[in-house]
Amino acid sequence: MSNDNLMILLMVIAVVVCVLGLGAAGIYCLNKTVDQNGH
Amino acid sequence: MHLIPHSWSHLHILVSVFPSCGLMFVLGFYIAGFVTKNEGMKQTCLALFGVLGLLAIPTYFSGAGSMAALDGKPDVDQDMLNYHYYVGLFGLAALVIVGAAAWIALWRSLGAKQLSDQALKVVLGLAIVTLALMVVVDELGWEVHHFELHLPPKEGPYMAPGTTPETWSHVHMILNHFPTVGFTFALVFYLIALAMNNDVMKRSSLVVFVISAVLGVPTYVTGAASMWALTDPPIPQISKALINEHRDMALLTLFGLAFTGGAAWIELWRYRHLGRFSNRSLYVILAFAIITFAVMAETGHRGGQINHPEIRLATDALPTDPKAGWTPAIELLINNVIWFVPWQTVHFFGFSMIFGTVLVVVLRVLGFAKSIPFSAVHRILPLGLLGVLMNVFSGMLMLLADSFRYLNETTFAPKIAFIAIGVIAVLYFSLSERLWTVKAGEDAPASSKAVAVLVLLSWCGVIIGGRLLPYV
Repeated sequence: MSNDNLMILLMVIAVVVCVLGLGAAGIYCLNKTVDQNGH
Repeated sequence: MHLIPHSWSHLHILVSVFPSCGLMFVLGFYIAGFVTKNEGMKQTCLALFGVLGLLAIPTYFSGAGSMAALDGKPDVDQDMLNYHYYVGLFGLAALVIVGAAAWIALWRSLGAKQLSDQALKVVLGLAIVTLALMVVVDELGWEVHHFELHLPPKEGPYMAPGTTPETWSHVHMILNHFPTVGFTFALVFYLIALAMNNDVMKRSSLVVFVISAVLGVPTYVTGAASMWALTDPPIPQISKALINEHRDMALLTLFGLAFTGGAAWIELWRYRHLGRFSNRSLYVILAFAIITFAVMAETGHRGGQINHPEIRLATDALPTDPKAGWTPAIELLINNVIWFVPWQTVHFFGFSMIFGTVLVVVLRVLGFAKSIPFSAVHRILPLGLLGVLMNVFSGMLMLLADSFRYLNETTFAPKIAFIAIGVIAVLYFSLSERLWTVKAGEDAPASSKAVAVLVLLSWCGVIIGGRLLPYV
């Protein structure tokens, strides 16, 4: 694997982990508020 | 303070969209007031009809002033100007009647302590007729000054440079007023709802924030297509530098709309489960909405400057470098494979999340897995929202990488139209009272099944349209 391809792979992993991580954290908090106060 | 009109033409451009697009949104709220039997909502709408009726005065005088300023100008179609004027007189007369009927209905309700159903329906009928007239007046108005709408059709091999049709400028001209005016009325309604502490009005305003955000996407995309239509080949009166300045703000508006619409949807979703609003969240949405409104006002002003030299001031410092601004810089950056591929990957994750969520909800509504109550399925809808937000962000970045090619692909416009239909139809799943009460073992109503089929077909259309982009 060339250095350029390695950089692309690392960028893909970094961006996907950041976006999905932020989204997962948001959805976790959202569900928590409903679990604690919902009916 | 260049946003404050300094000429009749500028005032007319600004104020004339409210009696048409504004009337459409107030009518929407008014009909929602009928459906929910909410007196506060009906009263607020009557007052807004009254205000729109009063707006007929500045619309008429600014129009007359603009006509005097445009008289004899070679690039103005004088016949069209006269048609616009005479049909406009009918439209404004109808608007004044709607306003007067609304004020009378409100005034009578003060004595009778309740609104008269008959008077309310008279206002509804008059407002619908006025709206039909106003649509014609607006269209004639756009035809007056937008010479590009009368240019001969472009010819040449498919997707060759210089073949982006001028129709996109026309579509953008119409479409951009919906998120802007809709958002303005949603904000006004929202402020009144917060002051009156009326939950139905709060929910309705949040819904219009979401709809405005959804409509922001086709508005942005048709705006990009208009840029190609107006600059390739170049038209002497149109400045690419001015367009880029408008695009910079439009990108910010799109993200502002996504934040406001996303936050509004989350609060609507939470309301379903909690049965009440969180004041803190409502004020966060208000803050998002006010910031977005300010950015959108500047975007609209910059958009108006592109093809309305009459609203430019001698003191305006207009840009001249067509390569300056954030948007051209982002275009260069995203064209690099190291940035493009990660966002494309995020886009595919987003698609999977949207389609997965839609499939589960649609299948339950259609009668699969009836043992699950709808309220349980409702819990997974935020995953779909996350997918939509991821794809708006990544999709617009990808569009910037090669907008001429994307916009001129056959399947791009249907894809964007299906996105708007799909998201607005999904909104039904978040709001429907009948679906919310579907318990385990119960069948969903037939109307909900029809919406479910529409949602499924729309999102299939989005995926097929997207996948075919490089090939058809």
